Amino acid sequence: MYKKRSILEKTILIILSLLAIAFFLIPIYWLLTTSLKFGRDSFAIPPTWLFFDATLKNFTGVLAQSKTFMYIKNSIIITSGTTFLSLILGVPAGYAIARSKFRFVKNSAYFFLLLLMLPPVAMLIPFYLIMRDLSLIGTYMSLILLNTVFDAAFVVWMMRSYFADVPLEMEEAALVDGASHFSAFIKVALPLSVPGIIASALYTIIYSWNDFLFALMLTSPTTKTIPLGILASFSSVEISWGKMAVMSIFAIIPAVLISLFLNRYFVQGLTAGATKG
Amino acid sequence: MIQTFTQTIIKKFKADPFFWLLFPLLLYIVVIAIYPLFFSFRISLFDYRLTDPNQTQTFVGLENYIRAFKDPTVLISLENTLIYVAGTVTVELLLGLGLALLFSPETKLAQFVRSFLLIPMALPPLVVGLIWKSLYNADFGVIPYYLKQLGLDVGRGPLGELSTAMPAVMLIDVWQWTPLLMIIFLAGLKSLPQEPYEAAYVDGSSRWQSFIYLTLPLMKPTFLIAFLLRTVQSFKVFDTIYATTAGGPGQVTTVLNYHIYTVGLTFFDMGYASALANILLVMVTVLSIVYILVMTRRQL
Amino acid sequence: MQKKSIKVTFYLLLAFALLLGVAGCAPQAAPAAEEPAAEEPAAPVVEKNKFEGVELTLASMTDQYVTAFRVLVPRFTEETGIKITLDELGYVDLYQKLTADFVGKTAQYDLMTVDIVWSGEYAANLYTLPLDDFMARDEADLNLDDIMPVAWTLGEYEGKHWAYPMAGYANVLNYRKDVFEAAGIEPPKTQEELLAAAQQLTEGEQYGIALLGAKGSAVAQDYMAFVQQHGGSILDADGKVALNTPENAEILEFFGELFKYAPPGSTDYWWDQRETAFRSGIVAMMEGWSIARAGYENPEISSVVGLADVTAAPVSEGMEPKYGFGGWGIGINASSTQLKQEAAWEFIKWLASEEIQKEWVKNDGAPIRRSTLTDPELVAMYPWFPLMLESFEKGDGDYRPRIPEYSIIQDALGTYVNAFLVGQETAESALQKAQEQVEANTK
Repeated sequence: MYKKRSILEKTILIILSLLAIAFFLIPIYWLLTTSLKFGRDSFAIPPTWLFFDATLKNFTGVLAQSKTFMYIKNSIIITSGTTFLSLILGVPAGYAIARSKFRFVKNSAYFFLLLLMLPPVAMLIPFYLIMRDLSLIGTYMSLILLNTVFDAAFVVWMMRSYFADVPLEMEEAALVDGASHFSAFIKVALPLSVPGIIASALYTIIYSWNDFLFALMLTSPTTKTIPLGILASFSSVEISWGKMAVMSIFAIIPAVLISLFLNRYFVQGLTAGATKG
Repeated sequence: MIQTFTQTIIKKFKADPFFWLLFPLLLYIVVIAIYPLFFSFRISLFDYRLTDPNQTQTFVGLENYIRAFKDPTVLISLENTLIYVAGTVTVELLLGLGLALLFSPETKLAQFVRSFLLIPMALPPLVVGLIWKSLYNADFGVIPYYLKQLGLDVGRGPLGELSTAMPAVMLIDVWQWTPLLMIIFLAGLKSLPQEPYEAAYVDGSSRWQSFIYLTLPLMKPTFLIAFLLRTVQSFKVFDTIYATTAGGPGQVTTVLNYHIYTVGLTFFDMGYASALANILLVMVTVLSIVYILVMTRRQL
Repeated sequence: MQKKSIKVTFYLLLAFALLLGVAGCAPQAAPAAEEPAAEEPAAPVVEKNKFEGVELTLASMTDQYVTAFRVLVPRFTEETGIKITLDELGYVDLYQKLTADFVGKTAQYDLMTVDIVWSGEYAANLYTLPLDDFMARDEADLNLDDIMPVAWTLGEYEGKHWAYPMAGYANVLNYRKDVFEAAGIEPPKTQEELLAAAQQLTEGEQYGIALLGAKGSAVAQDYMAFVQQHGGSILDADGKVALNTPENAEILEFFGELFKYAPPGSTDYWWDQRETAFRSGIVAMMEGWSIARAGYENPEISSVVGLADVTAAPVSEGMEPKYGFGGWGIGINASSTQLKQEAAWEFIKWLASEEIQKEWVKNDGAPIRRSTLTDPELVAMYPWFPLMLESFEKGDGDYRPRIPEYSIIQDALGTYVNAFLVGQETAESALQKAQEQVEANTK
């Protein structure tokens, strides 16, 4: 409705867009190319962006170590455990908060929000000591339990706003037909909120997959996750940026897949959590 | 007394059919999160070093807290944390708003670009830190190389100079989290009412004028939410500092989280670390309560 | 604190939570149950070999010698049936993980590489098992006299052995033959000459010397190496920590002076970056551990093949030559089960034997035995071995004090020496603050 932008304005906008894209994507491009370079080239001066001796040596080297698969396996177990537990606990709670008429239940949403904001290190220290006393350090369970605190709180917060948007009529009809609140939740509300559940799941997947600090303290040699595997590719005498890059690529696969192919849910989740009060 | 209190609460809850859906999570949180926090408060009153072979715990009252206020590193790291939070949040808000405006048109290209810009915030912060550390490397890194080409003196490199280390670390945060703010602002822009703009257009106001007099005031609530969300998250920074500077050079990038980690989880001075953690906890809780109050008010 | 009541409360609450709907997580949490608990049931002792089936975990620093472990560990398993899982960790993580394992008595690691500087702390806190009983029992097989005397500092503390010598390093000066020839000067013999050479050889993109400047253990250890080479000490005559002496400040000034002739990024250098600098050819000299020497001749990672040489690390003018000695011992976790401890000792014994030491060194390990250092085949492969032998003979393993407070000293120096190098502190104020921090953290 406004007058057309002038050519100058358009050019400036395009340049700005290109700059923004370059700023956000070059570091990722750098990571990808480093994984394909020989050790001596990863720090070549001047930097090589397009034409360098490509090699798959880093990939074959990393994949030849059985450790790599162990890290991936551990990350998958911990991530799926956390996601499952967070959803099982968080989705019904989110529903309860969205539907309940009691102030205490409704306001508990803010309690979960508060929890979400706790500094992780403040939780980790006592949790570490308790896990130590229970001889649970180094188990998958210890990490799943701690990750779930933060992830479930996030799920509650997201699902609450999601359920608030699900129309009440169908549930009420089910209740009139004699269904219990629980079966109205399972049979009516849940199917209607699948996209919200997917969005919540994506978040818990990303959070627990990316976790480093908790894993640093709570894993044993056999339960180490990918971020710790990345650290192990550094040595005091070896230039192993290539291997680091390969491990990092494993670490970012879920993030990239989710951002590129499931971004609809992803964005929904973000805006639901942040813009709806 | 506590018993009767719990009984009334239970009675109330029993009346609410939805309570049982909330209860498992509530219980879980009390056991896994609240209980450790009480435990942490208790430890903070003791001199408790795990490295002590006898692992004795001596009750020292508030001594750990007093020690915290005398510890020069605590003051420095507190200051650094505040600088970090203020700097990153300000830049990210401005840049995020700019990006949102830039990519708000619903063209295929804008949609495509937007999905790519989501990648940084989904990456593990540790990996992000490592990538940037190598980009910043003074002698072999890409960034100093091009800066030198431009004739700039990079000295010890972005992470090595006292004056640039903090901004360099903050830039990493900006890189990772600006896209989040872009998404939030995009959603905010989309939910703006159309009528005022039409009226302004009829009145002959320019694009720039309607941005200043309409968009900005209408976006204020979104802005506030984004501001508080990022502030609270920014306090949590640890992984990128761990991966890049380890708090150096000197102590210019030592944030409170990193200091607590060093005291508690490398020296295992648990009493003192718990005291530090509790101080941080109180700070973040106060901020969070402000956040929550703002959000609830908005809802009304 | 009454751990027991906490435990009970926690379990009660947890059980309660599980009963009330959290049970859904059970299938997911199940893998945890398969995890080895802190104390595994001992393997059956019915086999001929009583260690058949024992599984150990070895925590190794990702130093050069880790390659040798990768080769030798499977061979050991083949010979003895003792399975060893190798867990590779970086320097900072290794220290942190091991401490967590020791203080938690979780015995996740049965064997660990122990940096020479940790032995005092490990001894004082009883983290590792004293090996003296084993050593007395098996003395006949150990050929102890062949081990270089200085190598015992890798694990000996107040008369007991808390780690067994594994990899001995000499602090040497690596230099570029071509650069020195072009400039027409000899490699430095004294610290004063070192500074002069560094200055002379710094020109444009070519720097005199590569140093460790990164905040943390790196800069602290490099500074302590220079303190040693200048004849100073960070302990006073009574063995008390004395960082803030005028002598140490003077050495710190010298250290800072050297940084003027180091690549600009040096204040951020960790060991790997220092190596990168030397291998990429931008520096003329580098003091460092002898173990990295072989890597300079590997064209895949080095641009200075055939151009590097090595000489004794220079000491201050007029000082009786004494060389920094460092490296790694191998220790046994005091919290491991007895069977595992015995199996772990079998590994140590095997690893330290003359025959395996030769293989160890061939695969990038580092020597501890005189017989290895003088072995004709190895000397032909590594022509710098005679120099190492000499450095070992005049080696000083205590220039970084192997006392229980070492980590605290290192942390304080790591912060404040770095702060001095980047211009945040003067030499005096840096050492003063470091001293204060050490005093505040040790009572």
